[in-house]
Amino acid sequence: MAGGLLTLLLGSVYLYFAYKIRPSALADTMGAGGVPRVYGWLLVGLSVLLICRSLYEYWRNADRKAMTMEWKGQGIKTLKAAGLLCFGIAYLLIVDSLGYLLSIALLLIGVAIYRGAPIGARLVITGIGGAISLWIIFAVVLGVHMPPGVLETLGL
Amino acid sequence: METILASAAHLIEIKLLLAALAGVAWGILGGALPGISPSITMALLLPFTYTLEPGAAIVLLASTYIGAEYGGSVPAILIRTPGTNAAAAAVLDGYEMNLQGKPGLALGISLYSGVVGSLFGLAMLILLSGPLASVALAFTPPAYFALGVLGLSVIATLSGESLVKGFIAALLGLMVATIGTDPVAGSNRFTFGSPDLLSGIAPVMIMVGLFAMSELLVQAGSKRSSEKAAIRTRLQFPGLKLAKRIAFPQALGCIIGTFEGAMPGAGGTVASFMSYNEARRWSRHPEEFGKGSPEGIAAPESANNAVAETALIPLLAFGIPGSNSTAILLGGFLIHGIRPGPMLFQRSADVVYSLYAGLFTAAIALLFIGIALLPLCIWLVNRPHYYLSAFIYALILSGIYSIHNSLFDLGVMITAGVIGYFMKMFRFPFLPAVLGLVLGYLMESNLRRSLVLSGDDLGIFIDDRISLFLLSLALLFVAGSLGRRFFTFFKQRKFSAESAKTEGK
Repeated sequence: MAGGLLTLLLGSVYLYFAYKIRPSALADTMGAGGVPRVYGWLLVGLSVLLICRSLYEYWRNADRKAMTMEWKGQGIKTLKAAGLLCFGIAYLLIVDSLGYLLSIALLLIGVAIYRGAPIGARLVITGIGGAISLWIIFAVVLGVHMPPGVLETLGL
Repeated sequence: METILASAAHLIEIKLLLAALAGVAWGILGGALPGISPSITMALLLPFTYTLEPGAAIVLLASTYIGAEYGGSVPAILIRTPGTNAAAAAVLDGYEMNLQGKPGLALGISLYSGVVGSLFGLAMLILLSGPLASVALAFTPPAYFALGVLGLSVIATLSGESLVKGFIAALLGLMVATIGTDPVAGSNRFTFGSPDLLSGIAPVMIMVGLFAMSELLVQAGSKRSSEKAAIRTRLQFPGLKLAKRIAFPQALGCIIGTFEGAMPGAGGTVASFMSYNEARRWSRHPEEFGKGSPEGIAAPESANNAVAETALIPLLAFGIPGSNSTAILLGGFLIHGIRPGPMLFQRSADVVYSLYAGLFTAAIALLFIGIALLPLCIWLVNRPHYYLSAFIYALILSGIYSIHNSLFDLGVMITAGVIGYFMKMFRFPFLPAVLGLVLGYLMESNLRRSLVLSGDDLGIFIDDRISLFLLSLALLFVAGSLGRRFFTFFKQRKFSAESAKTEGK
């Protein structure tokens, strides 16, 4: 049901903006907003169907304990996923200022610790080595311009 | 014959050969890592393909698919953990053979069967995709629109447990495809004033986010097996007598794999388990299955490698990817401005012949690279999962940034990863969403073009015979799926009522 509610919300927001699309003088009868509106209404309709079906299954299903058990532990798993996500967001925020090499090394070390790596020399060496390997692959071999950041003064 | 000769001419192109070798190697290594599916392995390569020529890019991705289907059997046999879903069937007898002290032979049977499956699948791909594409040349705008509807309907009905969820996923993809400019008048839609959204959202961001990023997020909350693979395992190929014994299950696997691969929505997992069951049914030693039977490895492994080739048939002929992995391959085509489908064989025949040549190289190279990479696969499988997760995360972020040097792209990919995470949690399938994303523009432009041609008369979709046929098929699929679900529902209800009555007595 939660999935249905989320998609209903998404469909509603999408529909709202679909109705705000400005018509163009060059457009056909359907216009730029025509197809998005169809999609929006279809999503809203299917979401309502999904919610109704979930409610019916919950009402009909005697084994509600099994249904609840299915979601047991999901909160913690989602929190752990959110934690991992934060590393990606942090990388987005620091990569321009710190530079690719430093940021990716911090990401490697941070994520490894988060996923259970013991803190020690091996972790640091793996993080730095991994960062250098990736820098070689992207910046040197593929010629991609990665943000230099604070290491720009070193010519990197 | 003309196709074979044209493809053979590409066998001397060094870039293609290198792309095939690199793809197979990457695929084997990626497939060997539990939790990294062939589609994720291919998605990780997508950003790299921007810098390659179209032929080499497509060969790299397709070869990765082939390599990954074998690679998944390495951890399946060694540590009872399939690297890919399709390799789950290899656990049944492969791991038992390992316990009997014959891991090398199990891996050898898997590799040999994989090569046989690949070569057979390639032959079917060459035989079938060209003629099917010729049929599709007669397509008009209404027919293209109807093809998109059929593709989405088939995938939505076959992917996942719920028809409604399948259609919702397809709509999500279609909705993302509307971001940017409208295909007829060029008006801005859902750009919110952002110049980054003017050209829409590139499918590669969504694919990498949905497949790779979301998987990382899911793994963050899961526990991993601590079993280790024996470091000194050596590949051992079957002798003549054993090769004769496994020839029939391999043939079964090849045929089933061909059929399942060409059917959208079916895929390697279905093919490998079906082949396993059929091999057991027809075996002279069915009692050995589940206890280390070589036939129990040969059949599923040849099936899932045949699928890796024949899954390209609907993609090349109609532009409809039938699986997550071919959806990624479609992304690779789109990156280079090539649209698979009926016109592919007319406009970009060279790319098709390069692909065939590359796949042939990949199938042969699988044998040698599989042997060479086994120690590295075992080393990788034994790596602590925290280092692997960290490296994959870094690879994803670096790869996406390298496409346009844009942090906005990273934001889109991460957002897609979050959406993918919740889609997995609520059991919405990915494939319809990806298909909606890649077909959305095509469907909308052909729909509106058809209406302009007909003067807004919807009857054009019925007057056009191909369109009528395809729309009828789509309706049949949906109705059939609904009918099957209602039948199962009422049957279960009747069974529950009868069980309750019996217990009451």
